Amino acid sequence: MLTRYCLILGICGALQAQQVVAPTPEQVGSPRGETSGDYNITQSFETGYRWNQVFGDVGEYRSDANYGNGIRLLGSSLTVNSKDGHGHWFDEITLTTQGLGNDPYESIMLRVQKNGLYRYDMTWRLSDYYNPGLTVAGGLHLENTTRRLQDHELTLLPQSKVQFHLGYSRDAESGPALSTAQEFDTNGQGYPIFTDVKRQWNEYRAGADATFAGFKLTILRRWDFYKDDTPATSDGVVAAGPTIGNVDLTVVNQFNRSQPVHGSDPGWMGNLFTRKKRWALNARVAYNSGHNDFALDESVLGVSQFGGAASRQIVVGGDAKRPDMADNLSISFFPTDKLTITNHTSLNSDRIDGASSYSEVLTGTNLGLTLYFQFLGIRTVTNSTMLNYRTAKWIGFYGGWNYSDRQVSTTQGETVPAFANSTVNNSYEVTNQIQSAIAGVRLRPAKALTVNFDGEVGRATEPLTPIADNKFHTLGGRADYRLKKLQLSSTYREAYNNNQPISFQYSYSHSRTYSANGSWTPVSWFSIDASYTRLHLDSWSFLAFFGGLGRSTLQASYRSDYLSNIHAGNLGARFAIGRRAEFYAGYSITMDVGDGRAAAVPAGTTNPITALLDSVQTFPLTYESPLARLSVKISPKVRWNAGWQYYDYAEQFGLLGYYQNFHAHTGYTSILWAF
Amino acid sequence: MVLALALGAGALASAQNQTAPAAGGAPGSGYVGSDVCKTCHVDLWTPFFKNPHYKSIASGKEPPERTGCEGCHGPAQAHVAARGGKTTIPRAFSLMKPKAVMEACLTCHAGNFDKSNIQRSEHTERDITCTNCHSIHHSPTAKFLLAKKQNELCYTCHAAERSQFEMPSRHHVNEGFMQCSDCHNPHGSFAATWSMGVDSHMAEPALGTESPCLKCHMDKRGPFVYEHPSVRVEGCQFCHMPHGSTNAKLLRRPVVMTLCLECHNQGGSGTRNQGVDLQSSIHNLLDPKFQKCTVCHVRIHGSNADAYFLR
Repeated sequence: MLTRYCLILGICGALQAQQVVAPTPEQVGSPRGETSGDYNITQSFETGYRWNQVFGDVGEYRSDANYGNGIRLLGSSLTVNSKDGHGHWFDEITLTTQGLGNDPYESIMLRVQKNGLYRYDMTWRLSDYYNPGLTVAGGLHLENTTRRLQDHELTLLPQSKVQFHLGYSRDAESGPALSTAQEFDTNGQGYPIFTDVKRQWNEYRAGADATFAGFKLTILRRWDFYKDDTPATSDGVVAAGPTIGNVDLTVVNQFNRSQPVHGSDPGWMGNLFTRKKRWALNARVAYNSGHNDFALDESVLGVSQFGGAASRQIVVGGDAKRPDMADNLSISFFPTDKLTITNHTSLNSDRIDGASSYSEVLTGTNLGLTLYFQFLGIRTVTNSTMLNYRTAKWIGFYGGWNYSDRQVSTTQGETVPAFANSTVNNSYEVTNQIQSAIAGVRLRPAKALTVNFDGEVGRATEPLTPIADNKFHTLGGRADYRLKKLQLSSTYREAYNNNQPISFQYSYSHSRTYSANGSWTPVSWFSIDASYTRLHLDSWSFLAFFGGLGRSTLQASYRSDYLSNIHAGNLGARFAIGRRAEFYAGYSITMDVGDGRAAAVPAGTTNPITALLDSVQTFPLTYESPLARLSVKISPKVRWNAGWQYYDYAEQFGLLGYYQNFHAHTGYTSILWAF
Repeated sequence: MVLALALGAGALASAQNQTAPAAGGAPGSGYVGSDVCKTCHVDLWTPFFKNPHYKSIASGKEPPERTGCEGCHGPAQAHVAARGGKTTIPRAFSLMKPKAVMEACLTCHAGNFDKSNIQRSEHTERDITCTNCHSIHHSPTAKFLLAKKQNELCYTCHAAERSQFEMPSRHHVNEGFMQCSDCHNPHGSFAATWSMGVDSHMAEPALGTESPCLKCHMDKRGPFVYEHPSVRVEGCQFCHMPHGSTNAKLLRRPVVMTLCLECHNQGGSGTRNQGVDLQSSIHNLLDPKFQKCTVCHVRIHGSNADAYFLR
């Protein structure tokens, strides 16, 4: 029994893909728990201290890892179970936490239930997010926000034919951020502004399930409310930067913007399901009626493009609506035990309809009021039929046909009330179809070995964008070999898309993914887990843009080439040292080797546009993270743990002149205990 | 109303408390009851009171074919008479075909809303069945009887995704903030299959109708007066790699300039049948300020105040 239990734990340990050093995954206390009255209890707590030491770009470290210093409740677990399934108030309490006490990623998961009466599930999560936005916005879009998510779900009579559901979810984001505003000169710079993010979304749900005559009906009604009250300000003088071919003396001295958005998105969903011996049916209707009210009040003082005093006031108000609906009907047939045929039809409809009134006063000149409205409608009908046939125990086939028809229509309008007949209406519509065929084969030549090959080929008409699916195919395969102590698998997947729209321009992409992984537990005290993945993408798209030294002219002979050639690897080994200690060592690496070039811009490139595009065709970098962890059993109920994890991020070329390289040591020591 | 429901449920529950757990089946049915099973399978029985399936025994109201060990494994009379052996168990899952395993589990779980699309799940197509991911007797997880912690379980097969979650820009799944099932339903979802070649059929829509990303990224949900059509029509993954990327902000390209220009080149059919808009001539790409499009077009996911997403 003990050997078997150790083997199970050993196999679990072998497969730990955990690449975060803490919390410690080891067990403490009796896995069977202890008896207290009519209940069985297991519990453990891990408290300790985290530390870090960062060298180089702290912003990138915070964006990637963000672990700090301080005391933490790194993890905890509590289970309380009634032994006979007839507890007085509850039969089960399960509580797990991670990272509480200032880790950047914190979570609590709670389940409380009484058999047959109720089940309550709660999750609470926090993410401390930081992003310097250096490469995408020159550092002007920095974010340092905290997101808190929580979900509550109460089910009444969970084992009955009629069940009731009540739920509540909340998503809140807050914290400081930088953004940009463009003022006075439409050809000018984006000026940094400070924002204090305040966003909140609350959802309430009520529903019921009923089983009757072999059918199950699910009804859910939901109400949600969203508000964004993020203000923006600027304090101080911002000097204009250099521009090409444009005199720009613009300065923003004072900036204030209030931009509240309040809305709601109530909806309902109904689902009918049945499953018989030879057929099954699932039908769903979901509807949401989104609505947002908004206002914008902006005032700016400063210096204009040509050096004069300037001011600007903008007031915008209006609302936007989005009723959307999704209908699905799935019918499955099981004519024989070997054959399954499933047909699925869906209808999705989004109708986004918005209007806003825009008023502007620019340096004392009232530019008047303009009314804008816009409609975007997306109606998609899809149908797919899949066949799944097992010819023999060792071989099976599957295949199918998919069809989609999507209509995208827009209507844009603009009215300036001061001018009669100024209404402009533009209506456009495009309809796309995709048809694709899928085929695959499953093989099981031996009990432990499974092999799968599949492919898909598709054709689209009128793709909306130059990089959308047009003429595409995918090929894939995987092989798995699984024994209790040894698991091996490898996969290959290739996707190819060639888009040739109606104009002279076209784009092409080709991705290939190869992976292999293995886990081996030769003995109970040692296990190893390794994986390797290669992600290869090369794509190119024809471009059309304006550019040039001095006068900007239309350039239509350049291509955007992008080549990403990523090798990623993982290695983890676990050793049990006697009966007292566990040692884990892991290593992960992501290495994009690019296209092998030695410099971002090949030597001898004199055309400045070619040089610019060359510099972003590939982005070679290495990101690696070794870790080690030791866990020592002090007593059956106490373990001491210590771990170290290193992060190294190294860009080979940098982007647009920015390098964000860093390396960091992080670590922790903790006590894992049960009482 | 909640109180009334709870009180009513309490009355039902108290009736359930007067139970005869692990009762055997009717004579001749082949069912012997879980009490017989535990005679030999002590190791499985001892912790079984923590197992969600124990409810079927505690209830005392379920018929023998839905109760305890035999609820899943079938009547055990022949197995007992043969004094053990896998082949004498009517449903020995390790010997069963994947479809038979799924059918056995669906006997009770078919009605669960989250499994209502299991017949069209890509896992089902590829013979990935319940016991590939769930460990009924030895689960180390607090919920759902998973064979391993959720992300590690998914990584067992999805090695490419595992590598993406270890890239510098990523959703923090390994760190414990998110789980794969926040965005995916491994049992199959209602997601429409528009871009068949690349999209997962198992992405779980937010609010039943929208991109799963919008479950958390509420500020991108809108509706907006000025929608960015590619966001709404093609989805977030058109510009972002949802699992992880070597590029900032999970972008598909290292800089936004090429990301935007690959569409805004007047190619494609577009909503206007003349291609996606070309940028205006004032945008001189050699000017550094025009190389980072989102510095000015700050509301790129949609705006209420400006058609060009400037505010």
